[in-house]
Amino acid sequence: MIKAENLQKRVAMAGRELEILKGINLEIKSGETVAVVGASGSGKSTLLGLLAGLDEASAGRVVIADTELGQLDEDGRAAFRADHIGFVFQSFQLLPALTALENVMLPLELKGRRDARQQAEHFLQRVELGPRLDHYPRQLSGGEQQRVAIARAFASEPKILFADEPTGNLDSRTGEHIINLLFELNREHGTTLVLVTHDLKLAQRCQRRVQLEDGAVLAE
Amino acid sequence: MKVTAARMLARDWRGGELGVLVAALILAVAVVTGISAFTSRLQAALEQESHRFLAADVVVTSAAEMPASWRQEAQSLAIDTAQTLSFPSMVFAADDNMFLASIKAVSEHYPLRGELRYSEQAFAEAQPAAQGPESGSVWLDSRLFALLDVSIGDSVSVGEATFQVAAAVRSEPDQSPSIYNMGPRVLMHFSDIAATEVVQPGSRVEYRQLFAGEARLIQRFVTWLEPQLQPGQRLLDVKQGQPGIGSALQRAESFLLLAGSLAVVLAGVAIALAARRFSERHTDYVAIMKSLGASSGAINRLYGSSLLLLGLAATTLGCALGWLMQAGFFAIFAEHLPVLPGPSGIRPYAIGFTTAFTCLLCFAWPPLRRLAQASPLRVLRRDMPHENRRSLGDYLLGLLAVAALMFWYSGDWRLSLAVLLGLAITIVLGLGLALSLLRGGRLLGMSAGSIWRLALAGLQRRGSANALQVVIFAMAIMLLLVLVLLRTSLIDEWQAQLPPDAPNHFMLNIAPEQLQSVTDMLRSHSIPSEALYPMVSGRVMSVNGEDLPQTDDKQQGRRQRGANFTWADSLPAGNELLAGQWWETGSTAAEVSLEEEFAERLGLAVGDTVGLLIAAEALEVKVSSIRKLDWQSFRPNFFMVFPPKVLADYPATFMTSFHLDAEQKSFLNQLIRTFPTITVIEMDLLVEQVRAIIDQVSAAIELVLAVILAAGALVLVAGVQASVDMRMQESSILRALGAGRRLILGGLAIEFATMGLFAGLLATIAAEFSVFALQVWVMEMSYAPTPWLWPLGIALGVLLITGLGLYSCRKVVSSPPLAVLREL
Ligand SMILES: Nc1ncnc2c1ncn2[C@@H]1O[C@H](COP(=O)(O)OP(=O)(O)OP(=O)(O)O)[C@@H](O)[C@H]1O
Ligand SMILES: [Mg+2]
Repeated sequence: MIKAENLQKRVAMAGRELEILKGINLEIKSGETVAVVGASGSGKSTLLGLLAGLDEASAGRVVIADTELGQLDEDGRAAFRADHIGFVFQSFQLLPALTALENVMLPLELKGRRDARQQAEHFLQRVELGPRLDHYPRQLSGGEQQRVAIARAFASEPKILFADEPTGNLDSRTGEHIINLLFELNREHGTTLVLVTHDLKLAQRCQRRVQLEDGAVLAE
Repeated sequence: MKVTAARMLARDWRGGELGVLVAALILAVAVVTGISAFTSRLQAALEQESHRFLAADVVVTSAAEMPASWRQEAQSLAIDTAQTLSFPSMVFAADDNMFLASIKAVSEHYPLRGELRYSEQAFAEAQPAAQGPESGSVWLDSRLFALLDVSIGDSVSVGEATFQVAAAVRSEPDQSPSIYNMGPRVLMHFSDIAATEVVQPGSRVEYRQLFAGEARLIQRFVTWLEPQLQPGQRLLDVKQGQPGIGSALQRAESFLLLAGSLAVVLAGVAIALAARRFSERHTDYVAIMKSLGASSGAINRLYGSSLLLLGLAATTLGCALGWLMQAGFFAIFAEHLPVLPGPSGIRPYAIGFTTAFTCLLCFAWPPLRRLAQASPLRVLRRDMPHENRRSLGDYLLGLLAVAALMFWYSGDWRLSLAVLLGLAITIVLGLGLALSLLRGGRLLGMSAGSIWRLALAGLQRRGSANALQVVIFAMAIMLLLVLVLLRTSLIDEWQAQLPPDAPNHFMLNIAPEQLQSVTDMLRSHSIPSEALYPMVSGRVMSVNGEDLPQTDDKQQGRRQRGANFTWADSLPAGNELLAGQWWETGSTAAEVSLEEEFAERLGLAVGDTVGLLIAAEALEVKVSSIRKLDWQSFRPNFFMVFPPKVLADYPATFMTSFHLDAEQKSFLNQLIRTFPTITVIEMDLLVEQVRAIIDQVSAAIELVLAVILAAGALVLVAGVQASVDMRMQESSILRALGAGRRLILGGLAIEFATMGLFAGLLATIAAEFSVFALQVWVMEMSYAPTPWLWPLGIALGVLLITGLGLYSCRKVVSSPPLAVLREL
């Protein structure tokens, strides 16, 4: 389903080349739940971004459901994301100009769904933000914004959902609730889940754990 | 380690944050100094140019010779001097040929400004002369050669002295524009006057003392001279020079001043934009420093000194760049320029410097200072109560400062007000737009085409920021439109004033019985001529029954004066009725229509009566209307016009004007020989000169316009850049969620086009008002609305803003979203 081959990412920093990912090989089957763990700065977010086609690799390739992301142009990748991928950013990335509801409706509208509004309301209720539909991101707390971001990723019912520390800002009770939600989605729709987390409990619930260290896979 | 301003700036520089502000500052300073140095140098040159019509910088006229002490004082100040003396006298030649000529004796160095032209034969090609005739010789008006039947080398005499004819005089820089009662010119040397013995105490003569030198010294000299002037001695400067060209030059100067003022405003806007971006980006910085324990005093000091350092560095570089810009310009275009550029002085640089600091102070400092007082958490969460954020007051303060700068720059409050009027209209309309965007209901209903919803939601949500941006775009576009409009109307007017076939010769003293043969002769040479005007000479003797004094003192307004009268059934072309009514065709009433200034000098209004003396007969007439004349035109103009029946019984001659090409000049010889009593006055060289100057001034105006257009475009670019961050962020999130290229670019295009549409609309409305004010208050032109401005302004707004906006955002669809997000 998702296949990464010799995936590398380098950036030029102050004249020096910084190697962030040093040849990652990874295969994730459809419907699998995978936790990416590792120390801060080990390259987890970078890997997730590459797998989701949000960034371009310096070398190697990513193939999702027979589509090689590197072969597509920026627009092709965008269309691919719209159809197949949900993403929860570590820093949420909500649109400040839109309300919570409108933020969640966005991916649905992009797909031209007529029931965008009902669907968005439904998912916001599931992350317990029913009463905050018309609030703007800046009026929400960090955890609330994170939940909006999660609802947005859920809303389009993607086949693959990438989440970068989805419970990082949540208290244990809400965190628990969100995790249950993620796995429900996985059960109900067969959604592939790829999570980055520092939360051991969450990592334990996944079928596989990939540990990164210094840009390389240390262990599975 | 303590955080110092220098260190903070250095870090900022490395982080790339500072680049924008520094670049904007340098650019703004460069634009304002460059343009104002450019315009003031051009202005100095034009001023110089206008002096040529006096043949000097200042002139004193007098009926008696002026004290030598004036010349000594002038020489001690390194001011050049020359003298002229004009008087009418008979010129005699062999075979008892004689003619009443207008003699002018000129000293060495005449003219001090402008050019004296002569030719080696009558009506031959004119060439510049280094100096007037030598002692013992004279230069004659071309037509005198035929009238006296002499040629080069022959002798003529004036009074008791005999002279050798050395050349034909073709034009003098300070030629009198009055075409009446002017005999043909005889130019001789000043030292020969005594020998003629015609100038006696009491003769009607005009002495002119000419002075020219550095403006500062002339100023000093005039201050010294003025208290010593006797009654009857008059000081003339440029304003009393040639009326035809004076107002053209004056309007050109107004235009240059306006252009410079607009550069100040544009620079102010550019700095405001950059400063806003700077303070916005430093919001987190301030909050974090505060949360780490920095006091608000420390933060104030830090930012105060940072801005100071920044300002100093940027203004220094900006001034240097501005100097280079204008120097480069003059280096490249020097040969196409009409005039040698004058000095600019340091004022432009002072203005650039002050503009930069004032704008930094008004636009960057207040929000940062207020941030320093707010609690860090509120700053970080952008949860500031309204009055603590960038407030309307800041902008008003900034606007006031810019207005003051503009006034300081132009020194013309009417000009400044006219521009401010436009700016104020833009701002008020922009505020209205912002309110309606903010107050209007959310556009949630429109979910169908989500491009539109996205774009409009974005527009609406950022209502106040967008309105501000629209105002800024509108200001820039308005300023450009104003300049384009004024340039167009100035140049159109000048060209209309002097069409290629404008009359350049006058014919006077045509006897009624000669009319037919003169028109036939013109027609047989296919020379186009204007209508024939009858002319009756007379004298104004009394006003409302009160006799006027007889004096030569031109200072005295109410005095007897000779005038040429004409009659007409309808208002002459180019005249405008200011008061009263024009008579019915065939009127026999004793009434008269007066020229505005003539009426003013005699203190006459509609309804008053004037006593005249025509051919030794007294005539009393009533003033029935006051007219305004177009002195710019080279048409015959009359102070007093009567109904035809009123003048029918008096002896009249006729006059007309016609156009003659350079190669047709020999026709004049023939004309003069056939009709010796007719007076022909050549204005062709003068017309050519005026046309050349106007062409040159037009070229200068186009040049300035181009520079300002470039500056305005830069402001637009800066404005779009400032708005791009936010839009880039939103677009890349959309991109991450899978939005296609069409959707993102379409949404952005709609958003920018809507802003451009509003900006164009505001700009056009404001420009129309501003141009009205400028034309009516400042340039004394007539105003007509410009329908073509509307589609142009709106299209300009939409195309420019959309084009620039999409160009600035193009990365969003070509780069991976994470890469874009990381760079913001
Ligand atoms: N564009 C970039 N330029 C420079 N350095 C980068 C860039 N992107 C990532 N890095 C660096 O690569 C390393 C890995 O980054 P990444 O965000 O993937 O870490 P992470 O494992 O997600 O860490 P965390 O758990 O703290 O979120 C970090 O040291 C980061 O600073
Ligand atoms: Mg991370």
